[in-house]
Amino acid sequence: MLINFRADRAGGDCNTGRRHAWLLLGLLLSACASYSAAFHPIEKSLAAREPATALKLLEDQNHSDADLFLYFSNKAMILRMMGEYEQSNEQIEKAKSLIEKFTATSVTEEASSLVINDTTRTYIGTPVEQVMLHTYAALNYLEMGRVDAARVEALQVDLRLKMLMQDDPDSALSHDPFGRYLSGLIYEDLGEWSDAMIAYRKAFKDYQAHSGLYSITVPEQLKNVLILMADKVGLTDERREYEKSFGLSLESLKKERKGTGELIFLFHSGLAPIKIERSVQVLDPASRQLIRISLPYYERHENPIRRARITLAGVKSYTGSTELVEDIGTLEIKTLEANMPVIAARAIARAVAKYNMAKEAGKQNELAGLLVNIADFVTERADTRSWLSLPAEIQSARLNTASGEYAVTVELLDYNNNIVFRQELNNISIKGGRKQFLSFYWTSASANTEH
Amino acid sequence: MFKSMTPARRGILLSVFIPMLMAGLLTTGCGTKVSRIDVNEIKDLSGAWNDTDSRLVSEEMINDMLERPWIRTYSRQSSRPPTVIVGTIRNLSSEHINLNTFVGDIERAMINSGRVTFVASSQERQEIRGERKDQDINAREDTRKAMGRELGADFMLKGSINTIIDMEGRTQVRYYQVDLTLISLTDNRKVWLGQKKIKKLVKNSRLRY
Repeated sequence: MLINFRADRAGGDCNTGRRHAWLLLGLLLSACASYSAAFHPIEKSLAAREPATALKLLEDQNHSDADLFLYFSNKAMILRMMGEYEQSNEQIEKAKSLIEKFTATSVTEEASSLVINDTTRTYIGTPVEQVMLHTYAALNYLEMGRVDAARVEALQVDLRLKMLMQDDPDSALSHDPFGRYLSGLIYEDLGEWSDAMIAYRKAFKDYQAHSGLYSITVPEQLKNVLILMADKVGLTDERREYEKSFGLSLESLKKERKGTGELIFLFHSGLAPIKIERSVQVLDPASRQLIRISLPYYERHENPIRRARITLAGVKSYTGSTELVEDIGTLEIKTLEANMPVIAARAIARAVAKYNMAKEAGKQNELAGLLVNIADFVTERADTRSWLSLPAEIQSARLNTASGEYAVTVELLDYNNNIVFRQELNNISIKGGRKQFLSFYWTSASANTEH
Repeated sequence: MFKSMTPARRGILLSVFIPMLMAGLLTTGCGTKVSRIDVNEIKDLSGAWNDTDSRLVSEEMINDMLERPWIRTYSRQSSRPPTVIVGTIRNLSSEHINLNTFVGDIERAMINSGRVTFVASSQERQEIRGERKDQDINAREDTRKAMGRELGADFMLKGSINTIIDMEGRTQVRYYQVDLTLISLTDNRKVWLGQKKIKKLVKNSRLRY
């Protein structure tokens, strides 16, 4: 099959009369502007560190019922950045209930998506986005200190992943390393060692599987905790295996642990990639006709920040650097790549149907043929919907500390290890034997804080 | 107007604009409709833990608790009915269960049985103590309630709600297990263990309208 990429969105070869009529219809249907384009103002205010403005803009926008999932998810993320965890979770619950309700394939939506375009289908998130709902709900609960409720989310992550594995058992994308790792942290915080061990083990496997797909490695903090946890639950053989393959020793890890309290610092860096529409000319093998289809593709946001460094100053000082624990951006891109054959096949089927419709109409009346052609051009849009307020990456640092009050400083480093941003956050108190969770947001141009 | 069109134009209408209109109609919701139902009526919507489960489980378990020998043993040794307090009931399930209504149901079932005395939970006690402290300064002497006269509990009720979910395709078996334990505060003896299981089969359709 022959595919030409064309920059021209209006679909080049129409004559002037056609173009006028196209403009007219275009005006009538301007409400169909792509989803991702409408998100720009919100993104701007997020980057300008004004989540309240972003929230207002989001609430003022029109949302079709088909896009409600994204409205709830975006609202949840912005509320979270504002520190409104309770409200954020209310939105997440709404988004989750949409997934339950709309997972079944709709007969009417499928039909209309074949006549019009894919955006008429109710959006319920990509697998990554669905798992991220639970992840962020869990983080909201953890940051409110409600570990039992976070445990509920950990169980839901497990259920969600089971469902994804049923749908696509062979894909590494049906697994989510960070979801597993976070579940492990939650169980560990509750003192449920064996459940924690199982979750950490699954996270380890998932990181290994994902490292074959894109550049992610098993985080050092996971390697450490695997050895410590295997020791705690008495799995001596497994512990020795980890020690050997990671080149670490239990003795030195134990020596490094300075206190019983722990800070889990999560750095939510950048914004997830945005879907852009690209029009493509395809040769339909059946009719030997060139047809135009629109496909979505991802464009990454530039992010100059490589990692964050956190410093705690109190009775003693501690410092740690973040490492990548979830590459959301790449996961989204890989998911779209995996689905592209299906998306393209649908678009081609739709374009062929539309072409035949225009030809039939044209046989009867020239104007009719023209109008149908125009309608085809206008309605042929790629589905550019995605959860745009998600960060591009989640990075993490675990600091083992003595209990007490600490002053917190976050520094962001670029790829040359220069400090490009520095901020002092509110003091935190760390209790012995417990984990304290702290999140920090950086949305490209500037940063939002919360904890 | 429609009839005066040429067949071709009508064709356009039918083939292009009608599906668009249809899509438009699909995305607009219907109006809200409310009808009142009895609180005892069983309505299972999503298959999740609901008010009916909470009510049935608490009533059945507390009835079971009050029928068991520990209560007679206690009455033989003491002249007054046992005093019980509800400790933590943990939600270990995969759903965000509203434990307040569940604990409320348990408390109601126990108090209304008249066979046990019930004292306020630690959170409620704090508030009452605050009030007593306030009375100490502000209330008339003959109405003032003295401190240190609280009724100490003899037993604490603790428990958990667990779920096991098994699934195949769009069909789920949801299994709930509620465990309650009554522990003697004097000597940590467990005097009663209650367990109630609920099993639900939830079938989700693969297709919708």
